[in-house]
Parts: sequence; structure tokens; C-alpha cells
Amino acid sequence: MRRGLSKLMLVLTVLAVVAAGCGGTSSDTTEGTTVGTTAATTTTAGSVATTTTTESMEPVTVNWWHIENNDPGLSLWQQAADDYMAEHPNVTISINVQENEAFKTALQTNLQAGDVPDIFQSWGGGVLREQVDAGLVQDITSLAQECIDQLEPGALTMMQVDGKLYGFPWDLGIVGFWYNKTLFAQAGIEAPPTTWTELLDDVQKLEDAGITPIALGAGDKWPAMFWYAELALRIGGAEVMQQAAINHNFDDPAFLKAGEMLQDLIAMDPFQKGFLAAGWDGPDGQAAAIANSEAAFHLMGHWAPGTQSANGPDLAATGELGWFPFPAVEGGAGDPMDAFGGGNGYAVGKDAPPEAVDFLCYLTSVPVARELAATGSRLPVTIGAEDAITDPNLAAVITARGEAPYVQLYLDQAYPPSVGAAVNDSIQALFAGTGTPQDVVDAVDQAWANE
Amino acid sequence: MPPPSVRTYVESGDDAMAMTQVGARRTRGVEAARRRRKRIGIFVLLAPALLLYLAFVLFPIVQGVHFSLYDWNGLEPLTKFIGVENFKDAFGDPVFRGALEHNAIILVLSLLVQLPFALFLALLLDQRIRGRAMLRLFFFAPYVLSEVVTAVVWRQLMRPNGLLNAALSGLTGHETDVLWLANPKIVLYSVFAVVSWKYFGLHMILMLAGLQHIPDELEEAAAIDGASWWQTFRYVTFPLLGPTVRVSAFLSMIGSLQLFDLVYVLTGGGPVNASNTMATYMIDWGFRRTQFGYANAVSVIVFGLSLLVALAYQRWVLRRDIEGSLTALGQ
Amino acid sequence: MIGTATSQRRDEGSVHRARRAVTRGFLYLSAFAVLGVIVIPVVYGALSGFRDTAQLASKPIDLPNPWVFVNYADVLRSGSFWQQVWNSTLIALITIAFVLPVASLAAFAISRFRFKGREAIYLVFVLGLLFPVAVAILPLFIVVRQLGLLSTVWGVALPQAAFALPLSIVILRPFFMSIPRELEEAAILDGAGTFRFYRSILLPLSRPAMSTIAVLTLVTSWNAFLLPVIVLTDPTKWTLPVGVTNYSTQYTTDTARVLAFTTLAMIPALVFYVIAERQIVKGLSAGAIKG
Repeated sequence: MRRGLSKLMLVLTVLAVVAAGCGGTSSDTTEGTTVGTTAATTTTAGSVATTTTTESMEPVTVNWWHIENNDPGLSLWQQAADDYMAEHPNVTISINVQENEAFKTALQTNLQAGDVPDIFQSWGGGVLREQVDAGLVQDITSLAQECIDQLEPGALTMMQVDGKLYGFPWDLGIVGFWYNKTLFAQAGIEAPPTTWTELLDDVQKLEDAGITPIALGAGDKWPAMFWYAELALRIGGAEVMQQAAINHNFDDPAFLKAGEMLQDLIAMDPFQKGFLAAGWDGPDGQAAAIANSEAAFHLMGHWAPGTQSANGPDLAATGELGWFPFPAVEGGAGDPMDAFGGGNGYAVGKDAPPEAVDFLCYLTSVPVARELAATGSRLPVTIGAEDAITDPNLAAVITARGEAPYVQLYLDQAYPPSVGAAVNDSIQALFAGTGTPQDVVDAVDQAWANE
Repeated sequence: MPPPSVRTYVESGDDAMAMTQVGARRTRGVEAARRRRKRIGIFVLLAPALLLYLAFVLFPIVQGVHFSLYDWNGLEPLTKFIGVENFKDAFGDPVFRGALEHNAIILVLSLLVQLPFALFLALLLDQRIRGRAMLRLFFFAPYVLSEVVTAVVWRQLMRPNGLLNAALSGLTGHETDVLWLANPKIVLYSVFAVVSWKYFGLHMILMLAGLQHIPDELEEAAAIDGASWWQTFRYVTFPLLGPTVRVSAFLSMIGSLQLFDLVYVLTGGGPVNASNTMATYMIDWGFRRTQFGYANAVSVIVFGLSLLVALAYQRWVLRRDIEGSLTALGQ
Repeated sequence: MIGTATSQRRDEGSVHRARRAVTRGFLYLSAFAVLGVIVIPVVYGALSGFRDTAQLASKPIDLPNPWVFVNYADVLRSGSFWQQVWNSTLIALITIAFVLPVASLAAFAISRFRFKGREAIYLVFVLGLLFPVAVAILPLFIVVRQLGLLSTVWGVALPQAAFALPLSIVILRPFFMSIPRELEEAAILDGAGTFRFYRSILLPLSRPAMSTIAVLTLVTSWNAFLLPVIVLTDPTKWTLPVGVTNYSTQYTTDTARVLAFTTLAMIPALVFYVIAERQIVKGLSAGAIKG
């Protein structure tokens, strides 16, 4: 697993460097945080008694904006903050928790006005790069040295731009197929497909059995993008994906081919009724369709079981839910073990005190990470927390994550926001039948050219 | 000063009083002082509104116009001045033009559908039928609902196996399986239906207020003269309701051009941009794609179009209210 | 002869009564048909609060089965809900308290006085209707912040009042204009000044319009989301639309609970409407004009 991870680290680093290419010259906009306070600190990974070397015990406030607004995350994070404050009486962690969309709006406005929270939710990628370019986030590469070893090296690249670290990842997953074992059995599918052709055959079998094969929330666009991205990854391979981010175009034939192969699937009409308006979530969404056994399988990230069980019976609990990775594509240049995914991180604001980084060290320490894993909805990136995951499907996901030689970040996160939006929109058009594979390529090229 | 017989406004009380003073001789000084007092009085009346307005409305608008001249992602400093490039790009984008079309369609449909419907209901509720108060409450309820919950409920109703299809199947006798929100060809009209459902209450309440303003005696007089209900409506009620209807139409048009909240949460402008309005387009480019300068340019365009409509309307339609409404009520 | 005349009149009377009955029947029928279309979605939302999201997903059309009370119960039990009701009410009332006097004074000025630039000022106010608020949000946030009003009810109420001015003035202006000048002249002859006329005659006569504005302002304020979410960073100051987001996370929404919450949230606004609406319908216009 370790060997795979160092490879992972290498390629993700390259990816980060490459994806940064479009931002133009990134002058060093981060104000030099006074590094004087961090003398070498010996920290055993996960130890609560992480000592900062700031001698002053003046009161410090750390503003923390997170979006775990429901339990179990809400209480867990509150507990973590309370525990940390107990150990560090001079530090006050002021939590501002919001729902996801409200958070994005409020953060955007605050950032634009120059008010940067000390720690805030981040998904890395192109948006983080924009924040780096605007000098709003802090380069914590040195400050983080004290505890960086506790994290999977490969995961770090999510919060890196041009090789410098701007935050801590705390959750990272990869996308795969979640399927209903009962429905598969009904259709006579004995084992999950391992190649694309087998997948198409299985889709046919399901249709013949009168079962809707695939649930898709194309209304939200990004679930549809997952299909395209995975195919492109399989067909073109890691190098092509990385090159695309360097060259700022989808001109490689792999992308065109991905669209065409996707059209083969779409032509089979395998999705639930009204899929073009359905979202991921909601009673009429993709998760609900799976949970209520209205469709047999779907392509989704590691949060899938949680949303499914909110919208219907808990298939995981009854053992009906299974997981398999995206199959290999015959004749594709990509490694079948390559993965496509993303996660959650906390970025550090430009004015944040060193205690913010120290707190993040604590938050991603082994004890806290293990508790996070136990909630069953997040996959921590702390080394030593993996076995706290009990659900067999999630364990499979985290294993696949560890073995992946390369992880491609969600396309609408990795690329600059306007390019990501172009990707999503043109792929939705592909699914709607109003766009062609060439249109996808053209739209993306155009969006990048306008950057 | 125009002669009293065609004067349509009474100037300030002081003015009238001074005029009724028999034999009052005004020197130029008194005249000027009176005018100054009048101006101060008007200023005092307008000051609170203008102050509030300047700080919270005008300043942001001016800033917005300023931003529209830049290529700006909202985070970095404002450095990339590009003048009218954003505007050119907007009109060159087929998606924006499509959004503009959608706004136009909704504008026309709103005038044709929502207003008569609201008027019908207001007239209905003006009659003495039992349960009138309850009905008024229920009819206004959709307007009170927030956009989010309206969208949630209607998404449920418009599901392929939802209540709307089921009800239509029951009423028409054959299986109705329309994809109200998923079919790009009809999603705009589905959105329009929900918008109408939600906002007709606003127009209804305006017309109700307008109806209350019409003295009963006029309608009774017409009835005594032998006019049928329709004649009374056509020659007495509707003309007197004129100002209200015109305000309602104005608000409807402006609202159609600005339409955002409900569409955004109902369909997000999709699928494939089929239900995009200029405002959802603007938010998409501003907040999702972080092209803040471009989004501001689009909002300036929306603003400009609305201004054109407002000016034209003001000039040709509302002007009548200023001059005509009083004489209708006169002797 | 007389007999036929009376019987003829009697026939006319009964035809007339029959026609009236048919008309009334038609009225009732239309009223209830429309009522159905309008109310069923609202009732659907309210009923869905008694189901759980899983029920909603699997069977869109169904009565609650089983009836789930925990959604409504949890909302009613939660202290934050009541706090949000209070915040929403406070902000709405402050907004109205600002809008009514400020807008009516301004509308008075530009409707019953002739002065240079009157139409221009009217148009300046109309401008506020024409600009999409969502994009103005950043400069607005900066202003609120600079005034030190962040996380206060004033930081939300004042901008809302400002944005409510255009609509209010647009509605009030024709109403004010249509008050006959004879009333004003009569008041002047009685020795009343301008302000007296405004307060004692114009305002009472405009009660329908003013109440309409109060209702519209309240509903807009009640459902406002963008401004509160940006200004009210302290959760204890949240309004209801911000509070409802707590039932969503990054990946999931508890739809049934959202519907329970919003159904409850709607009630105060409806109550306000019922109260204000009596003012809208029972205007004093008849009395004044007769005089």
C-alpha cells in the first residue's frame, strides 16, 4: 500500500503543479507568516499535547468555518474543539457552522471584502488556486512540518498549489459503483463487471429483466460528469489527464472517444425516468432511486450510503449494497487501478495565527480521525485510521484509494470554476442528446481559452 | 401657472391659503420665501427615503456598474479593465440570448395569464360570498410560501409519478406521463406555471385594494340605471381599476425580467439551459464560475432592459393616470 | 289585465332570482375549483411534514403512512426555531416600521406636489426595482460592515427597507394621486396645513394601499435569504430561511423535515396577512368620499 501511495504522491504533485498552469504567473502573494515561532517540535502523530513553541500564552482566537452542520459531524467537531481548548486554555476556537450553499455564498462575500476566516472548508483544486492567487490563504508548508507525517502523502496534494501547502485535507474518497445485490441477482448478474463491455452487457441484462439499470441525477450535472471523467481516465490514462490540465484543452482523442463510448451507453436508455431533471439528493433524486430499489446501480462517491439511507431503506445495513470500482476499458491506455475522486479539506486564511495550524494537526490526529472514520460517512487521510472503518463497502473504497497509482480530482474542482462549469454543462447536453462529444471538447477548450 | 380649471394638482396648503386671502399683495420676497419653504418642505419629505436609498441601493448599483467593466473573479484586486468586452460577450453567447428569449416569453405569458386570473379572483373575492375571508387567506398562501419550499413541493408534484400526472390521468382518462421538468421543450412552461401559482397572489391583493378604493355608490348607481354586471364592470369598475391594473402590469413585467429565486431552486435554469433566465445565467457566471465582472455586466444589461421597459411604460401608459384619474372621479 | 301584469312581474322576478342563483352557483364553483389548484400544493407540503423523506421518495402520492410526528415535534421543540421566529418577526416589523412612513412621505411628495425633477426622482426610486439584488450583494455587504451593522437586525432591516421603497412608492403613488383635490381643498379651508392633510386625511384613506405594502414587505422580509445569510453570522440571530438550511448538509437534505419546518414558518406570516388584510378590504374610502 505504501508503494502505491508514494507513486500516488508523485502523480498528484504533478497534477497539482499542472492544474496550476492556467492561473498565469503566480507571484508569491502569501504574506510571509512569521515562521520564527516554529522551532522543531517533536510531535508524536496524534498526540493531543501538541506544543506550539510560541512562548506567549496570550489569548488567541481562531475562527473556524466548517459545514458539518448535522450530527455526527457537528458534535464530533465541537468535541474536538472543546478538547483542544481544554489542552490549550489560551486558545479560543470560534466555530461558525453553516450549510454548504450558505457557506459558499457567505465565504465568497467575506473573501471579496477581505475578511478571511482562519480556517475554512475547502475542496482544493481550481478554487483554492484562485484564493492563492489573490493572497487570501496562507502558505503553511513550514508550519505543518510538525505533523504532516501523520497524513497520507498522496492526499496532501489536494490542498497544495505549486507544491506549497495551504491547508489540511481530512477526507478523501474515490468514486465507484454502488449496486443493489438483490437486483443484480434478479437479472442474473453473478459478479460485478470488470470491463466496460461487461458493464454494457449487464445493463442489457437488467433492462431485459425489467429493472431500470442506472440511477443518474443529471439535473445536478456533476453526477453525469463522473461517467465522462472515469471513461476519459480509462481511455487516455493518467498522462493524458495531466497533459490536458497543462495544455488547457481536451484535444487529445481520448476525450472524444470517452464521449462516444458514453453515447453508446446513453443510447441504451438505461436511466430512470426524468433523470435529466433529477438531482443527486432529494426524494426524486439519484440516491432515492437507488435506496428504493428503483434502479440497480449508480456511480458515486463515498458519501453515497449516507444520502441513500436518508431517502429510503438502508441497503447497506441489510447487506444489499455492494461496491465495485470503475471497470477497465478494453484498449484503453489507462491503468484500471487509477481512481477518480476528491474530498474535503480545511484551508488556512492569510491572517490565521500558528495555533490554527496546530489545531488542524490535532483535528487530523489519529484519535480524532478514527472517530471520524467510525461515523461511517468520511474517509480520513490520517495514517492509522483506516481500520476504524467497519463498513465493508467503505473499507473497499479506502483500499482502492490506497492502491490507486493516480487519483484524478473531480473535473469541476480541479479546473478553474468556469472551465469546470463548461465541462459539466456540455456533458449534461451530451446526456440530453442536444450535444455531441465534439461539443464537449469545444466547450472546454473555449472556456479555458477565455480564462 | 396654468389656470385653475385645468389644474390637476393642488399645491401646498400654504399656497392655496395665500391665494384665498382677499386682496393679498405678494411682494417678490414673500413669493420667493414661499417657494423656498415649499422646496424645503419637499426636501424634508423626501430626505429619509433618499438617504436610505442612497446608502443601500444606489451605491451598490453604481458599484455594480463599475465592476462590469472589468475582467474580475471577485477575489483578486480590480485590475483588468476591459471596457465593454463583457457586454459584447454576453450578447454573443447563445445561452444568454436564449435566457433573454425565455424572459420575454414569460413576460408576455404573465401579462396574458396572471393578470386576468388575478383580476378574476379579486372580483370574485369582492362579492359577498360565504367563506370570503377564508378564501382570501388560502388564495394568498402561495405568495407567503418561500421560494425554496415552493420548489421542493412542486418538484414532488411534477415528478413522473407525481400528483400532477396522476391528477391529469384521472381527469383526462388516459395515462399522463409528462416529464414536466425533465423535458427541455416544456420545462420553461412548467416553470411559468409554478411562477404563476406563486405570484398571482401579489396581483390579486393589489387589485383587491384597488377595488376597495372604488366607491360602492358608483357601482350601485350604475346598477340602478339598469346596467348589467358586465356593463358595470366594463364602464365603471375596470376604468377605475385602471391605475391598479397598470401598476400590476408594470410590476409583472419588471418581475418577469428579474425572475430568479424560484427558477433557480426549481430547475437551476436547466436542463441544458432550457429554463434559464437572465438572472439565473448571471448568478451562474457570477457565483459558480466566479466571473464576477461578467456577471455584473449581465446585471447591467438586465437593468438596462428593465429601465427601457420602465421608461416606455412610464411615458405612454402611466402618464394617463396622472392626468386622467381625477377627472373620472370628478363631478 | 292587472293579473297578467303582476304575474308577468312575478315571472320576471323569478327569472331574475334564478339568474342570480346560477351566477352565485357559478361563483362558488369557480372559487372552489381555483381553491383546489391553489391549495393542494400547500396542503401537500404540510402533509409531507408528517411523513419521512423515505416515504416521500418511494411514494410521492400518499397519505402519511405511518404518520410521522417527530418532524413537526422536533421543530416545535427546538429552541432555535423559536429564536428564529423571533428574529424573523423583529426584522420584519422593523423593516415595515421604516418603510411605511418613509415611503409614504416620499410618495406624498412626488404625487401631490409639482416641482422640477419630480419625475426624475420618481424614476430614481423605480431604478431600485430594476436591479437584481443578488449581484448588488457585495457592495451592500461592505456598506453594512462599514456601518458596523454586521450580525445585527438593523444590518438586515435597513437594507431591506431601502429595497422595499421602490415597490412601495410605485404602489402608493397612484393611490395618493387619485385622492380628489376637493378633499385637500376642503381640508385647507378648514385650516389644516399640508402635514395635517397628510396625516389625517391622506393616510387613513390610503389604508388599503398601506396595508398592502405592509403585507408585501413582511412576506419579502420573511422569506429573504441572501441578505440574512451574509449579514447574520451569529446563529442566535438567524432568521427562519437561514435556519431551514440546517436540515441540509453537503450531500443530503431531510426533505420531510424541511417541509415541516417551512409549513410552521409560514404560519406567522399568514397570521399577519389575516390581520392586515382586514385593513385592505374594509377601507374607509366610502365614508370620506361621501362626505
